[in-house]
Amino acid sequence: MTSTTPAAITWRRRRAAAATVWRQFLRDRGGVIGLAVLVLIIGLALLAPVLTDAAGLDPTQATGGRLQPPSGTYLLGTDELGRSVLLQLWWGARISLLVGVLATLVSVGIGTLFGVATAHFGGWVAAVLTRATDFFLVLPSLVLAIALSTVLDRGIFAIVLAIGVTSWPTTARLVRAQTLSVESRPYIERAWALGAGHLHVIGRHVLPAVLPLVFANTTLTVASSIIAESTLSFLGLGDPSAASWGTMLNSAMLSGAVTFGAWWYLLPPGLAIAVIVLAFMVCGRALESVLNPRLRER
Amino acid sequence: MRMRRIGVCLAVAACAALGTPAVTGVGAPQAHAADSKVLRVAVTTAVASLNPFLAYHQADTEIGRMMYEFLTAYDQTDQHPVPGLAESWQVGTDKLTWTFKIRQGMKWSDDKPITAKDVAFTYNLMLTNAVARTANGNFVSNFDTVTAPDDTTLVVRTKQPQATMLALDVPIVPEHVWASKVDKLVNYTNLDFPVVGSGPFTLVDYKPDQYVKLKANPNFWRGKATVDEVDFYHYDNTDAAAQALIKGDVDLVSKLTAAQFDTLKGKDGITTNKAVGRRFNDLIINPGAQTNTRQPIGDGNPALRDVKLRQAIAQAIDAKTLVDKSYGGYAEPGSSYIPPVFSKWSTNQQRTFDLAAANRTLDEAGYRKGPDGKRLDKEGKPLTLRLIGDSGQPTDNPNGQYLKSWLGQLGIPVDVQLVSGDKLGDVTTAGNYDLSFSTWGVNPDPDAVLTLQTCAALPDAEGKSGTTETFTCDEQYDQLYKAQLSELDEGKRVQEVKQAQQRLAELATSVTFAYPDQLEAYRSDRFSSFAVQPNPGGVITGQNGYWGYYKAVPAAAGTSSGVTPTGLVIGIVVAVVVVAGVVLLVVSRRRKSTADERE
Repeated sequence: MTSTTPAAITWRRRRAAAATVWRQFLRDRGGVIGLAVLVLIIGLALLAPVLTDAAGLDPTQATGGRLQPPSGTYLLGTDELGRSVLLQLWWGARISLLVGVLATLVSVGIGTLFGVATAHFGGWVAAVLTRATDFFLVLPSLVLAIALSTVLDRGIFAIVLAIGVTSWPTTARLVRAQTLSVESRPYIERAWALGAGHLHVIGRHVLPAVLPLVFANTTLTVASSIIAESTLSFLGLGDPSAASWGTMLNSAMLSGAVTFGAWWYLLPPGLAIAVIVLAFMVCGRALESVLNPRLRER
Repeated sequence: MRMRRIGVCLAVAACAALGTPAVTGVGAPQAHAADSKVLRVAVTTAVASLNPFLAYHQADTEIGRMMYEFLTAYDQTDQHPVPGLAESWQVGTDKLTWTFKIRQGMKWSDDKPITAKDVAFTYNLMLTNAVARTANGNFVSNFDTVTAPDDTTLVVRTKQPQATMLALDVPIVPEHVWASKVDKLVNYTNLDFPVVGSGPFTLVDYKPDQYVKLKANPNFWRGKATVDEVDFYHYDNTDAAAQALIKGDVDLVSKLTAAQFDTLKGKDGITTNKAVGRRFNDLIINPGAQTNTRQPIGDGNPALRDVKLRQAIAQAIDAKTLVDKSYGGYAEPGSSYIPPVFSKWSTNQQRTFDLAAANRTLDEAGYRKGPDGKRLDKEGKPLTLRLIGDSGQPTDNPNGQYLKSWLGQLGIPVDVQLVSGDKLGDVTTAGNYDLSFSTWGVNPDPDAVLTLQTCAALPDAEGKSGTTETFTCDEQYDQLYKAQLSELDEGKRVQEVKQAQQRLAELATSVTFAYPDQLEAYRSDRFSSFAVQPNPGGVITGQNGYWGYYKAVPAAAGTSSGVTPTGLVIGIVVAVVVVAGVVLLVVSRRRKSTADERE
């Protein structure tokens, strides 16, 4: 299959580049372990409706006693309403991941848009956008997120929005720097000379060059979004009907599980948050070191 | 920047994971000198107002009861009216004229005499000033005139006979202080320390969300309290408060959850008190919120104006399960509006939990099920309801989950939202709810809670000056309310109060589902006993009176030096050992090095 059309050549080159990235990624043992953990957790979360019965989350169907320690029937004990902690942990993963990923998409979307626009257009557009970025950068994002999720109607999407619109400035800065560096290269100048428009330059040259870095950044942002979601839910700002790990910690605290010494109610969600955040972090770092030429060891 | 934020967040998560409650250590109670007897109380509700005319939240009125004596008080044992500022009273043959004898020789905390003129001033202020009626207006709405012919005589003439004349929960304020505050009453915070009062304690300091401090009032007519000072420390949640009790930072904690109570039960130096509560927890159903001029307000689901729908919702609430699960068994299942602790007034009418009957009620009332099994309202639109609760109330979330499940089985999807207590107040006052959790404390005389359901309690256009709980406005109920208020024959009044409650149950705007026990615990190594009301089986905090704090008995000297000093001694010993070890190590090293150099 040796097609010689320009598109085919481009795609072959991209496939080769992806293969190189993958090989380099595989060399980072921490990254591989992180990826394996992520695949496992995401797989389990996606399969929750198949492998478990959601009815166990309904308190009226719960059969266990109040705050029972781990046993054969309830591997991680029960909560204050007699529901299995393991089952809640399992289903909580779905909410935590969903919110984490959605919030990241919002955040990275805004960040990329602002970053590329700031670097590409320059002039007064850049001045305005940079000031806006700076404004959001100096605001304490947790406080802003709390304020936002208080004002917005409660629910998952309020949390997504609250995290998304408060965490984009770092992405915007990163993308701006990379765009500036890409646009100073000679082939961009050549494209301009050949009559390329903004759309062509951004779509064909800048974005493909910036996106790998954005992707690596996304993986890191998911980690901080999950933390942010857990924090907001722990503070009682989450959606009580869609329990995430943060919501579990909040219920544990409100019901007095801390004083009761119900470690089986506190540790699993806490550790789950730590593990998934760690997995996203090592994965993201590994990817970043592969994709960011400055971090690549030569 | 990002790393630091992640670090902070991780720290929060780690704290949460390791089970350290996220305590804001605001105004952490200090250890006091052994000779001054200070009672340190942990509270988790914020103080809204300490102006006695505006204060109606439980946290506020509890402090108000300590600061100001009322005309009459409630007995500690069985809560019957006993003398307060008035030492005796009699009602005229017309049943309209009440003459109170004010005790001679009583003094305010600033040594000025307490006279009948102060009482008359307080009541007259409430009669002439709408702001002064905010908290306790129901008690004086039927007053015609209030006069003080001399310093020891108070004469109150009512328009109709009034049954609550010996249960006037109105803090009496000193005229010489308040006469100049009348014009700007709504903005007056009443925080000129020490605040002149007549109760067993005098307010001496207050920092919002941190602490309230009261000193024993030596002029109190019953005599000075056994403790010198009562300090209320604010904690963000009961878990933090429970931990503070275990550590010995506070002496008394209330409103514990079942899990906390069970844990504290077995701890050394701590005594628990499971008290029968005087609160009801209810689900309020928005029947179409309106102002006192009958202007509709809020965004409540109009379908709930149908009493049949409300009754079906009431049938779908299993109070027994809520009590067993959400309250861990530490509550009585809700039945009538007035808690069974006031057995005289309570109807004790059990509501039956019957989902099949509720479904039948809905079918008969014309709420068809759509193709997806969800109910449609009468206009054919899907019927969904919002349920709002307080995120700070441990039982609201589980209760909400149960209700969501039960109403879901009727084909009514429920969206449970938990918001802060402040926001919940705003939302319900504005009528922006379909279903909401609510709770009220009930006094020995039922008038105050009965008045919450009258048309007169509806708010004005600004949403102010109304204490309505449910936006109930029903002619038949109002008549029963008025009848009981003017009934001086107690037997008849009891019947009317019960009828009023039955009418309320029919209206189904308030569905009482639990009377939570009040779970309290105190450090028995610092305090040997507290006066409970009613006695036995009653509460220490949140009484209809001040007995709990007034009669607190500190433990005998010697045992009072409990946890903290021991910990301190151990700490000092450890520190000394460590420091000595380090010094020895350093010295020996230096010796060695100098020795090496000498070689």
